Amino acid sequence: MATIELVPKPATINEIIEESRDVKSFVLKMNEDRAMHVLPGQFIEVSVQGYGEATFAVTRTSKDKKEFTISVKRIGHLTKMLHRCAEGDVVGVRGPYGNSFPVEDWKAKDIVIIGGGIGLAPLRPVIDHILQHRKNFGELEIIFGARSPADILYKEDLRGWEQDKSIVLHTTIDVPFEGWNGRVGVVPVVVKDLAVKPDSKIALVCGPPIMIKFTIAALKELGWPDNRIFTTLEMKMQCGIGQCGRCNIGEKFICKDGPVFSLDQIPAHAI
Amino acid sequence: MNKWRKLKTGDLKAYLSGLAEKWELWVPYFNDGKWEFGPYDAGRDIDFPDSIINVSLKQLFFPKRRSIATFDENSSWSLKQVMPLEKPRIIMGLHPCDVAGIKYMDKVFLDSEHKDVLYEAERNRTILIGMACGKMEDNCHCTDRGLSPDSSNGMDVVYTRTTGGYLLQSMTKKGEPLLQSDRLKDTDEKPVKKDWRRGKYKIASPEEFMTMYDDRIWHDLSDICLTCGICTYACPTCVCFLVADEKFKGKGERVTVWDSCQLQSYSRMAGGHDTRKTPASRVRNRTLDKFAYSHLRYGQISCTGCGRCVLVCPLKRSFPQLGATVTERLQKKKEKVAAGKEED
Repeated sequence: MATIELVPKPATINEIIEESRDVKSFVLKMNEDRAMHVLPGQFIEVSVQGYGEATFAVTRTSKDKKEFTISVKRIGHLTKMLHRCAEGDVVGVRGPYGNSFPVEDWKAKDIVIIGGGIGLAPLRPVIDHILQHRKNFGELEIIFGARSPADILYKEDLRGWEQDKSIVLHTTIDVPFEGWNGRVGVVPVVVKDLAVKPDSKIALVCGPPIMIKFTIAALKELGWPDNRIFTTLEMKMQCGIGQCGRCNIGEKFICKDGPVFSLDQIPAHAI
Repeated sequence: MNKWRKLKTGDLKAYLSGLAEKWELWVPYFNDGKWEFGPYDAGRDIDFPDSIINVSLKQLFFPKRRSIATFDENSSWSLKQVMPLEKPRIIMGLHPCDVAGIKYMDKVFLDSEHKDVLYEAERNRTILIGMACGKMEDNCHCTDRGLSPDSSNGMDVVYTRTTGGYLLQSMTKKGEPLLQSDRLKDTDEKPVKKDWRRGKYKIASPEEFMTMYDDRIWHDLSDICLTCGICTYACPTCVCFLVADEKFKGKGERVTVWDSCQLQSYSRMAGGHDTRKTPASRVRNRTLDKFAYSHLRYGQISCTGCGRCVLVCPLKRSFPQLGATVTERLQKKKEKVAAGKEED
């Protein structure tokens, strides 16, 4: 029988990780026990039966490719329902969809990863990929900003990255907070303060729209060329396969032609 | 070239009833002041409008509400996809612009890495009997879109009115069995070719439209548009949809429902971020999508010249006229640049 692409397949929530005050990660596995081949930057559609579906970046895949993780910020209708789910519950999954970060083109390159809040989720698979193929890449610098200490996610990863001698990590929070001894300042300002040099590096930026906009402006001020700044865009997506129409930027569909773009591939008004 | 065959007006009902025995047959009916396709009813009189059917053919291939799966609300997961329909079907009385609309939908739903199999099944089970238009309505402008009111392109059978009846010709293998009826007689008669008017709405090239993104004209145009979205529902090539779950008395359905880029909720994300908040940004999106983006995506603009958008607009504004207005402004800008004057 012909399969309707828009109808998801069941997957079980194997684990739920409380990341921050409003973000949970869900480790999923397809019920039909198969591997999910997800490239860094690709996304899936996740359904809660009776409540619809929404788009989530896959933020991690297990070694055997059977488990895959999404990080969900409680912000709308479906994410609220997902946050009510428990381990062992069944949700619907379809995908993966979209293009991916061209990590294979970045051999020996220095990579700068700049994430704001939940925007770190689609970038984490790139970090995982680099760490798994460490000698294929140059330096790895990570700049991660959260609104407050209570909004910092992936704490275990951050500890690991901090201890990893091959990574330069800067964690920042937007405004001073009692008990926080680390860096303070919004991401675009931190990028400027650090004066992140372009050289022949690649920069990846993802976060809230306003953060992306000003971080890119900061990078450009520092002399970064458009073709070496990559972002992964988020628009309201529904079908994930370039048919429902709503995620277009000009003639491009974010779900099909993206979500990953270098700045030279999209018009200035897209940011 | 297949022969023309003649059907006498008096034999039309008998011919159609014959078809309806073997096929699910759809024909145009005049209901509540508008033409729309309906299942053939032997008890009703049959006539064919000389020009567009008000409700476009889109509805018969991609219904405004379409169930894609069912589920039991009391289970945590029981989503089961629906079965595509297979019963052979005939749709009769469509016009060349309707076929153009279907062909555009083919590009969206079939020329895709992930085909829409429900749409594909509707296409596969359907034989299209198209009618050459007898006239162009005021808002018709298919001739400006590379079509012709008497084109048979994409039809399985084409027919036209003639004195005392209809002339029919099969265009494809799929259409041949429909011409086998005893009610049809071979004839030497041929349809009369007409000259059709052109140039109702002059539209710039897709590349030229792309240069208008930052122009102030969208604000002017949005002042005369309610962004109610009715033009997108009437349009044979507007296929934007949303996916939603509906529940009623324990039974649930996952459905696709027509959506419209003119509506405020269309691009609004959870958390409130909206890339097309203003009416101007939405009018711009639709105009550019019709006359430029569609061409860049699929190699053809998505206006068939049917004029339905004009008929349904509550302000009786003409959407193609918006395109023409943008085109005029483009022309003026070009003239100013040529004269060395600054743009306003």
